[in-house]
Amino acid sequence: MKIENARAQMRKGVLELCVLSIISKEEAYPSDIIKKLKEAKLIVVEGTLYPLLNRLKNAELLHYNWRESTSGPPRKYYYLTEEGQEFLGGLKETWKELTQAVNLSTKKQKV
Amino acid sequence: MNKIFNINLGGYPFTIDDDAYQHLNWYLDTIKSHFSDSEGCEEIVGDIEVRMAELFTEQMNGQKILTRKDLDEVIKIMGSPQDFGAAAESSEEFIDEPVKKKRKSKTRIKTGRKLFRDNEDKVIGGVCSGISAYFGIQDPVWVRLIVAVLFFSGGVAIIPYIVLWIAIPAARTSGDRLSMRGEPVNVESIGKMIEDEMHSFSETVSEFGREFGSKKKRITPYSDLQEEPYRKGFLF
Repeated sequence: MKIENARAQMRKGVLELCVLSIISKEEAYPSDIIKKLKEAKLIVVEGTLYPLLNRLKNAELLHYNWRESTSGPPRKYYYLTEEGQEFLGGLKETWKELTQAVNLSTKKQKV
Repeated sequence: MNKIFNINLGGYPFTIDDDAYQHLNWYLDTIKSHFSDSEGCEEIVGDIEVRMAELFTEQMNGQKILTRKDLDEVIKIMGSPQDFGAAAESSEEFIDEPVKKKRKSKTRIKTGRKLFRDNEDKVIGGVCSGISAYFGIQDPVWVRLIVAVLFFSGGVAIIPYIVLWIAIPAARTSGDRLSMRGEPVNVESIGKMIEDEMHSFSETVSEFGREFGSKKKRITPYSDLQEEPYRKGFLF
């Protein structure tokens, strides 16, 4: 069991939650999502995002609009569907429970 | 000297040199075959192309021709298919290692060895090193010895050598090199190869920089000529 693997798994676990909540704030262009995820050090390589977006889109949690761009071809802007909103709500709930659970169990270990 | 191509990458036009073009093609093909099972494979590859094009545009900064160096940097940012493959199926993380390995081997595209000439390890035409790779002989010196003995004992080997030299293709792409050595061309091995290449790249970066400097000067006037038919000459 390598620490790097464990870390990567933890990060990947919350990636969907983070991507969905970034998109829930406003319609988002993948490169902007990448920028935010990189600031938060959630992804290491950019290629990770595209299969994820595709999967969320196929699951009907996301849709996208085409928008004209000033500096190139039209861009895809992703937004949450109603299902996506619900899904995000569920994930946030779980996240709260998880943080509580983690806080609780790590505190106990210290004592 | 290097050939150049005009390409359309995700809707952006680029001029790219031959070496970088071959490698880009291979990189995109690898991604394609990696996602060939998943729904929306074309779309994923398309999105990745667009993102790569954006990164190139940021990086080029007035520079006219994309080189292998630029490509390697962008591939480093995008990651190898192996890296983002793990995210393609989130459930895969929770599968035990042995099961995962078994499953990964299914993504194998080609198996078995192919006969190539090894241009990177050659004395005359790379025929001997290619043959040793084909038969799994660690050191091509043994094959070379036999051939050399046949050369000098009446020249029996000279004509067959020349025929083989002509008939066997040289290993040009990374995929060729893998199939030459009989390593399966799958996502893992290619990922490993990218890492190796990244590593050797950083070692030779200063040398390459010098070489590139002189190349660029020679190519620039040619690219000015090329700019006019930019939009006609798209390769994909």
